[in-house]
Amino acid sequence: MKTMNFFRLASVVGVALAAVGSAAGAQIKVVATTPDLASLAREIGGKAVSVTALAKPTEDPHFVDAKPSHIVTLNRADVLIDGGAELELGWLPPLLESARNSKIGAGAPGRVVASEGIKLIEVPTSFDRSKGDVHSLGNPHFTIDPVAAKTVAGNIARHFAAVDAKNAALYRSNLAKFNAAVDGKLAEWQKQLAPYRGAKIVTYHKDFGYFANRFGLQVAETLEPKPGIAPSPSHLAQVIGVMRRGGVKVILVQSFQNRKTASTIARQTGATVIDASQQPGAAPNTGTYISLIDNLVKTIAAALARK
Amino acid sequence: MDFQVLWAVMRWPLAASLLFPPLLVYLGLHVVKREVIFVDLALAQVATLGTCVALLLGYHFEDPLTFWISLGVTFIGAAFFSWSRTAKKTGVPQEAIIGITFVVAAAGVILMLSRIAGGKEELEHLLTGDILNVQASDIWQRALVFAGLGAFYAAFHKRFVLISSDPDKAFADGVKVRLWDFLFYAAFAIVVVSFVRVAGVLLTFAYLIVPAVCGTMLAAEWGRRLMIGWVVAAASSLLGLWASYQFDLPTGAAIVCAAGFILALVGVSKAFRRA
Repeated sequence: MKTMNFFRLASVVGVALAAVGSAAGAQIKVVATTPDLASLAREIGGKAVSVTALAKPTEDPHFVDAKPSHIVTLNRADVLIDGGAELELGWLPPLLESARNSKIGAGAPGRVVASEGIKLIEVPTSFDRSKGDVHSLGNPHFTIDPVAAKTVAGNIARHFAAVDAKNAALYRSNLAKFNAAVDGKLAEWQKQLAPYRGAKIVTYHKDFGYFANRFGLQVAETLEPKPGIAPSPSHLAQVIGVMRRGGVKVILVQSFQNRKTASTIARQTGATVIDASQQPGAAPNTGTYISLIDNLVKTIAAALARK
Repeated sequence: MDFQVLWAVMRWPLAASLLFPPLLVYLGLHVVKREVIFVDLALAQVATLGTCVALLLGYHFEDPLTFWISLGVTFIGAAFFSWSRTAKKTGVPQEAIIGITFVVAAAGVILMLSRIAGGKEELEHLLTGDILNVQASDIWQRALVFAGLGAFYAAFHKRFVLISSDPDKAFADGVKVRLWDFLFYAAFAIVVVSFVRVAGVLLTFAYLIVPAVCGTMLAAEWGRRLMIGWVVAAASSLLGLWASYQFDLPTGAAIVCAAGFILALVGVSKAFRRA
Protein backbone atom coordinates (compact mmCIF):
# COMPACT_ATOMS: atom_id res chain seq x y z
CA MET A 1 0.00 0.00 0.00
CA LYS A 2 2.73 2.42 0.94
CA THR A 3 4.68 1.44 -2.13
CA MET A 4 1.60 2.21 -4.23
CA ASN A 5 1.40 5.64 -2.67
CA PHE A 6 5.04 6.21 -3.36
CA PHE A 7 4.68 5.37 -7.03
CA ARG A 8 1.66 7.60 -7.32
CA LEU A 9 3.54 10.46 -5.73
CA ALA A 10 6.60 9.77 -7.80
CA SER A 11 4.56 9.77 -10.98
CA VAL A 12 2.89 13.05 -10.05
CA VAL A 13 6.30 14.57 -9.43
CA GLY A 14 7.56 13.02 -12.64
CA VAL A 15 4.72 14.46 -14.70
CA ALA A 16 5.20 17.87 -13.14
CA LEU A 17 8.90 17.81 -13.85
CA ALA A 18 8.35 16.52 -17.38
CA ALA A 19 6.05 19.48 -18.00
CA VAL A 20 8.76 21.86 -16.78
CA GLY A 21 11.30 19.96 -18.84
CA SER A 22 9.35 20.22 -22.11
CA ALA A 23 9.06 23.95 -21.65
CA ALA A 24 12.86 24.10 -21.41
CA GLY A 25 13.36 22.00 -24.55
CA ALA A 26 12.81 18.49 -23.10
CA GLN A 27 16.37 17.54 -22.30
CA ILE A 28 16.65 13.97 -21.10
CA LYS A 29 18.04 13.73 -17.60
CA VAL A 30 21.19 11.64 -17.53
CA VAL A 31 22.95 10.55 -14.36
CA ALA A 32 26.46 9.11 -14.54
CA THR A 33 28.10 7.49 -11.54
CA THR A 34 31.50 9.05 -12.23
CA PRO A 35 32.69 12.23 -13.98
CA ASP A 36 34.48 10.32 -16.77
CA LEU A 37 31.25 8.64 -17.80
CA ALA A 38 29.46 12.00 -17.48
CA SER A 39 31.95 13.66 -19.82
CA LEU A 40 31.39 10.94 -22.44
CA ALA A 41 27.63 11.38 -22.05
CA ARG A 42 28.02 15.11 -22.72
CA GLU A 43 29.99 14.39 -25.90
CA ILE A 44 27.19 12.16 -27.21
CA GLY A 45 24.16 13.99 -25.85
CA GLY A 46 25.19 17.55 -26.56
CA LYS A 47 22.35 19.99 -25.89
CA ALA A 48 19.70 17.24 -25.94
CA VAL A 49 20.67 15.99 -22.48
CA SER A 50 21.49 17.35 -19.05
CA VAL A 51 24.16 15.31 -17.31
CA THR A 52 24.86 14.95 -13.58
CA ALA A 53 27.72 12.93 -12.08
CA LEU A 54 27.17 11.43 -8.63
CA ALA A 55 30.86 11.18 -7.65
CA LYS A 56 32.98 14.30 -7.55
CA PRO A 57 36.15 14.28 -9.71
CA THR A 58 38.32 14.34 -6.60
CA GLU A 59 36.38 11.60 -4.81
CA ASP A 60 37.40 7.94 -4.81
CA PRO A 61 34.85 6.32 -7.16
CA HIS A 62 34.97 3.15 -5.04
CA PHE A 63 33.58 5.03 -2.05
CA VAL A 64 31.06 7.81 -2.39
CA ASP A 65 29.22 9.23 0.63
CA ALA A 66 25.46 8.98 0.18
CA LYS A 67 23.63 12.30 0.25
CA PRO A 68 19.90 13.05 -0.15
CA SER A 69 20.52 14.77 -3.50
CA HIS A 70 21.88 11.51 -4.93
CA ILE A 71 18.56 9.78 -4.29
CA VAL A 72 16.55 12.69 -5.68
CA THR A 73 18.75 12.84 -8.79
CA LEU A 74 18.42 9.09 -9.37
CA ASN A 75 14.67 9.22 -8.74
CA ARG A 76 14.25 11.82 -11.50
CA ALA A 77 16.71 10.34 -14.00
CA ASP A 78 15.76 9.13 -17.47
CA VAL A 79 19.10 7.44 -18.01
CA LEU A 80 21.73 6.07 -15.62
CA ILE A 81 25.24 5.26 -16.80
CA ASP A 82 27.26 3.04 -14.49
CA GLY A 83 30.62 1.39 -15.04
CA GLY A 84 29.21 -2.11 -15.00
CA ALA A 85 32.31 -3.66 -13.42
CA GLU A 86 31.42 -3.25 -9.76
CA LEU A 87 33.43 -0.07 -9.32
CA GLU A 88 30.36 1.48 -7.64
CA LEU A 89 29.36 -1.73 -5.83
CA GLY A 90 29.86 -0.19 -2.39
CA TRP A 91 27.47 2.73 -2.78
CA LEU A 92 25.23 2.59 -5.85
CA PRO A 93 22.91 -0.36 -5.00
CA PRO A 94 21.50 1.12 -1.76
CA LEU A 95 20.98 4.49 -3.49
CA LEU A 96 19.16 2.79 -6.36
CA GLU A 97 17.00 0.90 -3.91
CA SER A 98 16.06 4.14 -2.17
CA ALA A 99 15.45 5.96 -5.48
CA ARG A 100 12.97 3.36 -6.85
CA ASN A 101 13.14 4.40 -10.47
CA SER A 102 12.21 1.59 -12.86
CA LYS A 103 13.37 3.63 -15.87
CA ILE A 104 16.98 3.07 -14.83
CA GLY A 105 16.62 -0.47 -13.46
CA ALA A 106 18.91 -3.27 -14.66
CA GLY A 107 18.09 -4.18 -18.25
CA ALA A 108 15.94 -1.10 -18.88
CA PRO A 109 16.72 1.03 -21.96
CA GLY A 110 17.54 3.85 -19.55
CA ARG A 111 20.36 1.87 -17.94
CA VAL A 112 23.71 2.08 -19.72
CA VAL A 113 26.29 -0.49 -18.66
CA ALA A 114 29.50 1.21 -19.76
CA SER A 115 31.63 -1.94 -19.74
CA GLU A 116 29.45 -3.73 -22.30
CA GLY A 117 31.67 -4.97 -25.12
CA ILE A 118 34.92 -4.24 -23.27
CA LYS A 119 37.30 -7.06 -22.48
CA LEU A 120 38.21 -6.53 -18.83
CA ILE A 121 41.71 -7.36 -17.62
CA GLU A 122 42.78 -8.97 -14.34
CA VAL A 123 39.62 -11.03 -13.94
CA PRO A 124 40.15 -12.99 -10.69
CA THR A 125 39.93 -16.77 -10.85
CA SER A 126 38.80 -16.95 -7.25
CA PHE A 127 37.11 -14.31 -5.16
CA ASP A 128 38.40 -13.45 -1.71
CA ARG A 129 37.87 -10.00 -0.30
CA SER A 130 40.69 -10.31 2.21
CA LYS A 131 43.04 -10.78 -0.76
CA GLY A 132 41.99 -7.40 -2.05
CA ASP A 133 39.87 -8.57 -4.94
CA VAL A 134 37.24 -5.92 -4.67
CA HIS A 135 35.98 -6.51 -8.17
CA SER A 136 34.91 -10.00 -9.20
CA LEU A 137 34.37 -9.01 -12.83
CA GLY A 138 37.89 -7.67 -13.43
CA ASN A 139 39.65 -4.31 -13.33
CA PRO A 140 36.97 -1.59 -13.60
CA HIS A 141 39.28 1.33 -14.50
CA PHE A 142 38.88 0.96 -18.27
CA THR A 143 37.70 4.41 -19.36
CA ILE A 144 41.28 5.68 -19.21
CA ASP A 145 41.97 3.69 -22.41
CA PRO A 146 40.76 5.93 -25.31
CA VAL A 147 39.79 2.90 -27.41
CA ALA A 148 37.62 1.59 -24.56
CA ALA A 149 36.17 5.09 -24.23
CA LYS A 150 34.95 4.81 -27.83
CA THR A 151 33.13 1.58 -26.94
CA VAL A 152 31.57 3.28 -23.90
CA ALA A 153 30.51 6.22 -26.09
CA GLY A 154 28.92 3.73 -28.49
CA ASN A 155 26.96 2.11 -25.63
CA ILE A 156 25.81 5.52 -24.47
CA ALA A 157 24.71 6.59 -27.99
CA ARG A 158 22.74 3.38 -28.47
CA HIS A 159 20.81 3.80 -25.22
CA PHE A 160 20.25 7.53 -25.75
CA ALA A 161 18.69 6.72 -29.14
CA ALA A 162 16.46 4.07 -27.57
CA VAL A 163 15.23 6.42 -24.84
CA ASP A 164 14.95 9.53 -27.02
CA ALA A 165 14.23 8.36 -30.57
CA LYS A 166 13.59 11.79 -32.03
CA ASN A 167 17.20 12.82 -31.39
CA ALA A 168 18.69 9.50 -32.53
CA ALA A 169 20.36 11.09 -35.57
CA LEU A 170 22.02 13.71 -33.36
CA TYR A 171 23.43 11.04 -31.04
CA ARG A 172 24.76 9.05 -33.99
CA SER A 173 26.48 12.05 -35.53
CA ASN A 174 27.94 13.12 -32.15
CA LEU A 175 29.29 9.60 -31.71
CA ALA A 176 30.89 9.71 -35.15
CA LYS A 177 32.43 13.10 -34.29
CA PHE A 178 33.77 11.83 -30.96
CA ASN A 179 35.21 8.67 -32.52
CA ALA A 180 36.92 10.70 -35.23
CA ALA A 181 38.34 13.08 -32.61
CA VAL A 182 39.70 10.21 -30.52
CA ASP A 183 41.18 8.48 -33.57
CA GLY A 184 42.90 11.69 -34.60
CA LYS A 185 44.27 12.28 -31.12
CA LEU A 186 45.21 8.65 -30.51
CA ALA A 187 47.88 8.76 -33.22
CA GLU A 188 49.23 11.94 -31.64
CA TRP A 189 49.24 10.47 -28.11
CA GLN A 190 50.95 7.31 -29.29
CA LYS A 191 53.61 9.39 -31.02
CA GLN A 192 54.22 11.38 -27.82
CA LEU A 193 54.70 8.23 -25.75
CA ALA A 194 56.44 6.17 -28.45
CA PRO A 195 59.97 7.06 -27.27
CA TYR A 196 59.19 5.51 -23.87
CA ARG A 197 57.78 2.19 -25.09
CA GLY A 198 58.38 -0.42 -22.39
CA ALA A 199 59.18 2.21 -19.73
CA LYS A 200 58.25 1.18 -16.21
CA ILE A 201 55.94 3.18 -13.99
CA VAL A 202 54.58 2.71 -10.48
CA THR A 203 50.98 3.54 -9.57
CA TYR A 204 49.22 3.80 -6.25
CA HIS A 205 46.27 1.59 -7.12
CA LYS A 206 45.81 -0.86 -10.00
CA ASP A 207 44.12 1.84 -12.03
CA PHE A 208 46.46 2.45 -14.96
CA GLY A 209 46.59 -1.06 -16.44
CA TYR A 210 44.43 -0.25 -19.47
CA PHE A 211 46.34 2.96 -20.14
CA ALA A 212 49.69 1.18 -19.85
CA ASN A 213 48.58 -1.58 -22.21
CA ARG A 214 47.37 0.94 -24.79
CA PHE A 215 50.55 3.03 -24.79
CA GLY A 216 53.15 0.31 -24.29
CA LEU A 217 54.10 1.23 -20.72
CA GLN A 218 54.68 -1.26 -17.95
CA VAL A 219 53.22 -0.98 -14.44
CA ALA A 220 56.14 -2.39 -12.43
CA GLU A 221 54.48 -2.19 -9.00
CA THR A 222 51.63 -0.60 -7.11
CA LEU A 223 52.08 1.11 -3.74
CA GLU A 224 49.09 -0.82 -2.46
CA PRO A 225 50.17 -4.41 -1.77
CA LYS A 226 46.77 -5.52 -3.09
CA PRO A 227 44.01 -3.41 -4.58
CA GLY A 228 42.31 -1.40 -1.87
CA ILE A 229 44.70 -2.44 0.90
CA ALA A 230 46.72 0.36 2.47
CA PRO A 231 50.48 0.27 1.82
CA SER A 232 52.43 -1.61 4.50
CA PRO A 233 56.08 -0.93 5.37
CA SER A 234 57.34 -4.29 4.09
CA HIS A 235 55.54 -3.89 0.79
CA LEU A 236 56.89 -0.36 0.36
CA ALA A 237 60.40 -1.67 0.99
CA GLN A 238 59.82 -4.15 -1.81
CA VAL A 239 58.52 -1.38 -4.10
CA ILE A 240 61.65 0.68 -3.42
CA GLY A 241 63.76 -2.34 -4.36
CA VAL A 242 61.86 -2.90 -7.59
CA MET A 243 62.10 0.79 -8.49
CA ARG A 244 65.85 1.00 -7.85
CA ARG A 245 66.63 -2.17 -9.77
CA GLY A 246 64.31 -1.31 -12.65
CA GLY A 247 65.18 2.38 -12.81
CA VAL A 248 61.55 3.39 -12.35
CA LYS A 249 61.30 7.18 -12.26
CA VAL A 250 57.58 7.90 -12.25
CA ILE A 251 54.84 7.34 -9.65
CA LEU A 252 51.26 8.08 -10.67
CA VAL A 253 48.86 9.13 -7.91
CA GLN A 254 45.22 10.21 -8.14
CA SER A 255 44.00 13.10 -6.03
CA PHE A 256 42.13 10.94 -3.48
CA GLN A 257 45.06 8.57 -2.98
CA ASN A 258 47.74 9.01 -0.34
CA ARG A 259 50.29 11.32 -1.88
CA LYS A 260 52.46 11.29 1.25
CA THR A 261 53.29 7.62 0.75
CA ALA A 262 54.20 8.29 -2.86
CA SER A 263 56.40 11.25 -1.86
CA THR A 264 58.24 9.16 0.72
CA ILE A 265 58.99 6.50 -1.89
CA ALA A 266 59.95 9.17 -4.41
CA ARG A 267 62.51 10.65 -1.98
CA GLN A 268 64.04 7.21 -1.50
CA THR A 269 64.28 6.48 -5.23
CA GLY A 270 64.68 9.88 -6.89
CA ALA A 271 61.41 9.39 -8.75
CA THR A 272 58.80 12.02 -9.63
CA VAL A 273 55.26 11.90 -8.27
CA ILE A 274 52.65 12.87 -10.85
CA ASP A 275 49.09 13.94 -10.13
CA ALA A 276 47.40 11.66 -12.60
CA SER A 277 43.69 11.98 -12.04
CA GLN A 278 41.50 9.84 -14.24
CA GLN A 279 38.45 12.02 -13.71
CA PRO A 280 37.79 15.02 -15.95
CA GLY A 281 37.67 18.20 -13.91
CA ALA A 282 39.94 17.08 -11.06
CA ALA A 283 42.82 19.11 -12.49
CA PRO A 284 42.52 22.48 -14.27
CA ASN A 285 41.87 22.38 -18.04
CA THR A 286 40.79 18.75 -18.06
CA GLY A 287 37.05 19.32 -18.32
CA THR A 288 36.51 17.05 -21.33
CA TYR A 289 37.62 13.48 -21.89
CA ILE A 290 40.02 14.40 -24.67
CA SER A 291 41.60 17.25 -22.71
CA LEU A 292 42.01 14.86 -19.78
CA ILE A 293 43.94 12.28 -21.81
CA ASP A 294 45.85 15.07 -23.56
CA ASN A 295 47.02 16.39 -20.22
CA LEU A 296 47.80 12.93 -18.84
CA VAL A 297 49.89 11.91 -21.88
CA LYS A 298 51.76 15.21 -21.84
CA THR A 299 52.60 15.04 -18.11
CA ILE A 300 53.64 11.39 -18.21
CA ALA A 301 55.78 11.92 -21.31
CA ALA A 302 57.44 14.92 -19.67
CA ALA A 303 58.19 12.95 -16.50
CA LEU A 304 59.57 9.99 -18.45
CA ALA A 305 61.77 12.35 -20.48
CA ARG A 306 63.50 13.47 -17.27
CA LYS A 307 66.34 11.08 -16.64
CA MET B 1 10.95 22.49 -1.16
CA ASP B 2 9.24 19.66 -2.97
CA PHE B 3 7.47 17.78 -0.20
CA GLN B 4 6.64 14.70 -2.21
CA VAL B 5 10.28 14.11 -3.09
CA LEU B 6 11.34 15.03 0.44
CA TRP B 7 8.91 12.47 1.82
CA ALA B 8 9.96 9.78 -0.63
CA VAL B 9 13.65 10.22 0.18
CA MET B 10 13.54 10.90 3.89
CA ARG B 11 10.66 8.83 5.26
CA TRP B 12 12.63 5.71 6.25
CA PRO B 13 15.48 7.69 7.80
CA LEU B 14 12.78 9.65 9.61
CA ALA B 15 11.11 6.47 10.86
CA ALA B 16 14.46 5.09 12.04
CA SER B 17 15.44 8.31 13.79
CA LEU B 18 12.12 8.59 15.61
CA LEU B 19 11.47 4.91 16.48
CA PHE B 20 14.80 3.79 17.89
CA PRO B 21 16.22 6.71 19.91
CA PRO B 22 13.65 6.49 22.79
CA LEU B 23 15.25 3.28 24.06
CA LEU B 24 18.71 4.75 23.52
CA VAL B 25 17.70 7.80 25.58
CA TYR B 26 16.58 5.54 28.43
CA LEU B 27 19.88 3.68 28.37
CA GLY B 28 21.66 7.02 28.15
CA LEU B 29 20.09 8.11 31.45
CA HIS B 30 21.56 5.02 33.12
CA VAL B 31 24.92 5.65 31.52
CA VAL B 32 24.99 9.26 32.68
CA LYS B 33 23.89 8.17 36.19
CA ARG B 34 26.62 5.57 36.36
CA GLU B 35 29.14 8.11 35.10
CA VAL B 36 30.36 5.69 32.46
CA ILE B 37 29.72 8.07 29.58
CA PHE B 38 32.06 6.35 27.17
CA VAL B 39 30.82 2.84 27.82
CA ASP B 40 28.62 2.94 24.73
CA LEU B 41 31.38 4.36 22.59
CA ALA B 42 33.61 1.56 23.86
CA LEU B 43 30.92 -1.08 23.24
CA ALA B 44 30.18 0.37 19.80
CA GLN B 45 33.88 0.21 19.05
CA VAL B 46 34.03 -3.38 20.30
CA ALA B 47 31.03 -4.15 18.07
CA THR B 48 32.91 -2.62 15.14
CA LEU B 49 35.89 -4.76 16.05
CA GLY B 50 33.57 -7.80 15.86
CA THR B 51 32.36 -6.68 12.44
CA CYS B 52 35.97 -6.42 11.28
CA VAL B 53 36.68 -9.93 12.56
CA ALA B 54 33.78 -11.15 10.39
CA LEU B 55 34.97 -9.17 7.36
CA LEU B 56 38.45 -10.57 7.81
CA LEU B 57 37.00 -14.08 7.94
CA GLY B 58 35.57 -13.33 4.52
CA TYR B 59 31.94 -12.66 5.40
CA HIS B 60 30.19 -9.79 3.72
CA PHE B 61 29.02 -6.79 5.74
CA GLU B 62 25.37 -7.72 5.07
CA ASP B 63 25.83 -11.39 6.01
CA PRO B 64 23.71 -12.39 9.06
CA LEU B 65 26.77 -14.17 10.46
CA THR B 66 28.61 -10.84 10.52
CA PHE B 67 25.94 -9.55 12.87
CA TRP B 68 26.20 -12.58 15.18
CA ILE B 69 29.99 -12.46 15.29
CA SER B 70 29.82 -8.77 16.06
CA LEU B 71 27.27 -9.38 18.81
CA GLY B 72 29.31 -12.24 20.28
CA VAL B 73 32.42 -10.08 20.53
CA THR B 74 30.35 -7.29 22.09
CA PHE B 75 28.96 -9.68 24.73
CA ILE B 76 32.52 -10.41 25.77
CA GLY B 77 32.97 -6.65 26.16
CA ALA B 78 29.73 -6.45 28.17
CA ALA B 79 30.85 -9.23 30.50
CA PHE B 80 34.17 -7.47 30.96
CA PHE B 81 32.49 -4.19 31.93
CA SER B 82 30.10 -5.79 34.43
CA TRP B 83 33.03 -7.62 36.00
CA SER B 84 35.29 -4.56 36.10
CA ARG B 85 32.62 -2.48 37.85
CA THR B 86 32.44 -4.66 40.93
CA ALA B 87 36.16 -5.29 40.92
CA LYS B 88 36.78 -1.60 41.54
CA LYS B 89 38.38 -2.14 44.91
CA THR B 90 41.70 -2.13 43.11
CA GLY B 91 41.46 1.65 43.03
CA VAL B 92 41.33 1.82 39.26
CA PRO B 93 38.28 3.82 38.16
CA GLN B 94 36.00 2.07 35.70
CA GLU B 95 36.21 5.04 33.34
CA ALA B 96 39.88 4.16 32.84
CA ILE B 97 39.04 0.57 31.92
CA ILE B 98 36.41 1.82 29.48
CA GLY B 99 38.80 4.29 27.90
CA ILE B 100 41.44 1.63 27.50
CA THR B 101 38.92 -0.76 25.95
CA PHE B 102 37.92 1.97 23.51
CA VAL B 103 41.41 2.81 22.27
CA VAL B 104 42.54 -0.81 22.07
CA ALA B 105 39.38 -1.80 20.16
CA ALA B 106 39.79 1.22 17.88
CA ALA B 107 43.43 0.35 17.21
CA GLY B 108 42.45 -3.28 16.63
CA VAL B 109 39.95 -2.12 14.03
CA ILE B 110 42.66 -0.15 12.24
CA LEU B 111 44.99 -3.16 12.27
CA MET B 112 42.34 -5.47 10.85
CA LEU B 113 41.07 -3.05 8.25
CA SER B 114 44.60 -2.60 6.95
CA ARG B 115 44.25 -6.18 5.73
CA ILE B 116 40.86 -5.68 4.10
CA ALA B 117 40.36 -4.08 0.70
CA GLY B 118 39.00 -0.56 1.05
CA GLY B 119 39.56 -0.72 4.79
CA LYS B 120 39.98 2.99 5.41
CA GLU B 121 36.69 3.87 3.73
CA GLU B 122 34.93 0.95 5.39
CA LEU B 123 36.07 2.36 8.73
CA GLU B 124 34.64 5.73 7.83
CA HIS B 125 31.32 4.11 6.93
CA LEU B 126 31.21 2.27 10.25
CA LEU B 127 31.76 5.59 12.01
CA THR B 128 29.22 7.62 10.08
CA GLY B 129 26.77 4.85 9.21
CA ASP B 130 24.30 5.05 6.37
CA ILE B 131 21.02 6.10 7.94
CA LEU B 132 20.01 7.78 4.68
CA ASN B 133 19.74 4.44 2.91
CA VAL B 134 17.95 2.58 5.68
CA GLN B 135 15.19 0.38 4.23
CA ALA B 136 11.82 -0.72 5.55
CA SER B 137 13.11 -4.24 6.28
CA ASP B 138 15.96 -2.86 8.45
CA ILE B 139 13.41 -0.94 10.46
CA TRP B 140 10.89 -3.75 11.08
CA GLN B 141 13.55 -6.19 12.26
CA ARG B 142 15.06 -3.71 14.66
CA ALA B 143 11.67 -2.44 15.82
CA LEU B 144 10.86 -5.97 17.02
CA VAL B 145 14.20 -6.30 18.81
CA PHE B 146 13.87 -2.85 20.38
CA ALA B 147 10.31 -3.51 21.50
CA GLY B 148 11.40 -6.73 23.23
CA LEU B 149 14.34 -5.05 24.92
CA GLY B 150 12.21 -2.06 25.87
CA ALA B 151 9.79 -4.41 27.62
CA PHE B 152 12.74 -6.08 29.39
CA TYR B 153 14.09 -2.77 30.71
CA ALA B 154 10.59 -1.58 31.67
CA ALA B 155 9.87 -4.78 33.61
CA PHE B 156 13.05 -4.47 35.68
CA HIS B 157 13.22 -0.66 35.69
CA LYS B 158 13.33 -0.33 39.50
CA ARG B 159 16.11 -2.89 39.86
CA PHE B 160 18.18 -1.27 37.10
CA VAL B 161 17.71 2.17 38.67
CA LEU B 162 18.86 0.79 42.02
CA ILE B 163 22.03 -0.81 40.68
CA SER B 164 22.76 2.24 38.54
CA SER B 165 22.40 4.78 41.33
CA ASP B 166 23.30 2.83 44.47
CA PRO B 167 25.09 -0.46 43.81
CA ASP B 168 26.20 -0.81 47.46
CA LYS B 169 22.61 -0.71 48.69
CA ALA B 170 21.68 -3.21 45.99
CA PHE B 171 24.44 -5.51 47.29
CA ALA B 172 23.14 -5.11 50.81
CA ASP B 173 19.61 -5.93 49.63
CA GLY B 174 20.90 -9.21 48.27
CA VAL B 175 20.64 -8.31 44.57
CA LYS B 176 23.12 -10.19 42.39
CA VAL B 177 24.66 -6.98 41.12
CA ARG B 178 27.20 -8.61 38.86
CA LEU B 179 24.57 -10.74 37.12
CA TRP B 180 22.17 -7.83 36.68
CA ASP B 181 24.97 -5.62 35.51
CA PHE B 182 25.79 -8.21 32.88
CA LEU B 183 22.13 -8.43 31.80
CA PHE B 184 22.05 -4.65 31.59
CA TYR B 185 25.18 -4.48 29.46
CA ALA B 186 24.21 -7.47 27.34
CA ALA B 187 20.87 -5.92 26.40
CA PHE B 188 22.74 -2.65 25.92
CA ALA B 189 25.10 -4.47 23.57
CA ILE B 190 22.22 -5.75 21.44
CA VAL B 191 20.82 -2.23 21.17
CA VAL B 192 24.18 -0.73 20.30
CA VAL B 193 25.15 -3.42 17.78
CA SER B 194 21.87 -3.33 15.92
CA PHE B 195 21.67 0.45 15.89
CA VAL B 196 25.33 1.03 15.02
CA ARG B 197 24.83 -1.03 11.88
CA VAL B 198 22.29 1.41 10.49
CA ALA B 199 23.34 4.66 12.13
CA GLY B 200 27.08 4.43 12.78
CA VAL B 201 29.09 4.96 15.95
CA LEU B 202 28.82 8.74 16.13
CA LEU B 203 25.06 8.95 15.79
CA THR B 204 24.52 6.13 18.30
CA PHE B 205 26.62 7.96 20.85
CA ALA B 206 24.80 11.23 20.19
CA TYR B 207 21.36 9.66 20.70
CA LEU B 208 22.48 7.96 23.89
CA ILE B 209 24.17 10.85 25.60
CA VAL B 210 22.93 14.22 24.36
CA PRO B 211 19.20 13.81 25.20
CA ALA B 212 20.06 12.18 28.53
CA VAL B 213 22.34 15.06 29.45
CA CYS B 214 19.62 17.57 28.54
CA GLY B 215 17.15 15.62 30.68
CA THR B 216 19.59 15.48 33.60
CA MET B 217 20.23 19.22 33.35
CA LEU B 218 16.56 20.18 33.34
CA ALA B 219 14.86 17.71 35.69
CA ALA B 220 15.51 15.63 38.78
CA GLU B 221 13.37 12.53 38.51
CA TRP B 222 13.52 9.70 35.97
CA GLY B 223 10.14 10.17 34.30
CA ARG B 224 10.61 13.84 33.48
CA ARG B 225 14.20 13.34 32.40
CA LEU B 226 13.03 10.61 30.05
CA MET B 227 10.32 12.85 28.58
CA ILE B 228 12.76 15.72 28.03
CA GLY B 229 15.25 13.29 26.50
CA TRP B 230 12.66 11.97 24.07
CA VAL B 231 11.70 15.47 22.98
CA VAL B 232 15.36 16.43 22.51
CA ALA B 233 16.06 13.25 20.51
CA ALA B 234 13.05 13.80 18.25
CA ALA B 235 13.90 17.47 17.78
CA SER B 236 17.52 16.59 16.89
CA SER B 237 16.28 14.03 14.36
CA LEU B 238 13.87 16.43 12.69
CA LEU B 239 16.33 19.31 12.61
CA GLY B 240 19.17 17.09 11.37
CA LEU B 241 17.11 15.40 8.67
CA TRP B 242 15.76 18.74 7.49
CA ALA B 243 19.26 20.26 7.32
CA SER B 244 20.57 17.18 5.55
CA TYR B 245 17.94 17.49 2.87
CA GLN B 246 17.92 21.25 2.58
CA PHE B 247 21.71 21.70 2.38
CA ASP B 248 22.51 18.24 0.98
CA LEU B 249 24.67 17.11 3.90
CA PRO B 250 25.58 13.59 5.03
CA THR B 251 22.55 12.64 7.12
CA GLY B 252 24.05 10.99 10.22
CA ALA B 253 26.57 13.76 10.83
CA ALA B 254 23.86 16.39 10.36
CA ILE B 255 21.74 14.81 13.12
CA VAL B 256 24.76 14.65 15.47
CA CYS B 257 25.47 18.33 14.93
CA ALA B 258 21.78 19.18 15.38
CA ALA B 259 21.83 17.35 18.74
CA GLY B 260 24.93 19.29 19.77
CA PHE B 261 23.25 22.52 18.75
CA ILE B 262 20.13 21.73 20.80
CA LEU B 263 22.26 20.82 23.83
CA ALA B 264 24.00 24.19 23.52
CA LEU B 265 20.62 25.94 23.43
CA VAL B 266 19.50 24.07 26.53
CA GLY B 267 22.75 24.93 28.32
CA VAL B 268 22.57 28.61 27.42
CA SER B 269 18.90 28.92 28.38
CA LYS B 270 19.59 27.24 31.71
CA ALA B 271 22.50 29.56 32.44
CA PHE B 272 20.29 32.58 31.72
CA ARG B 273 17.51 31.28 33.94
CA ARG B 274 19.92 30.83 36.79
CA ALA B 275 21.37 34.31 36.35
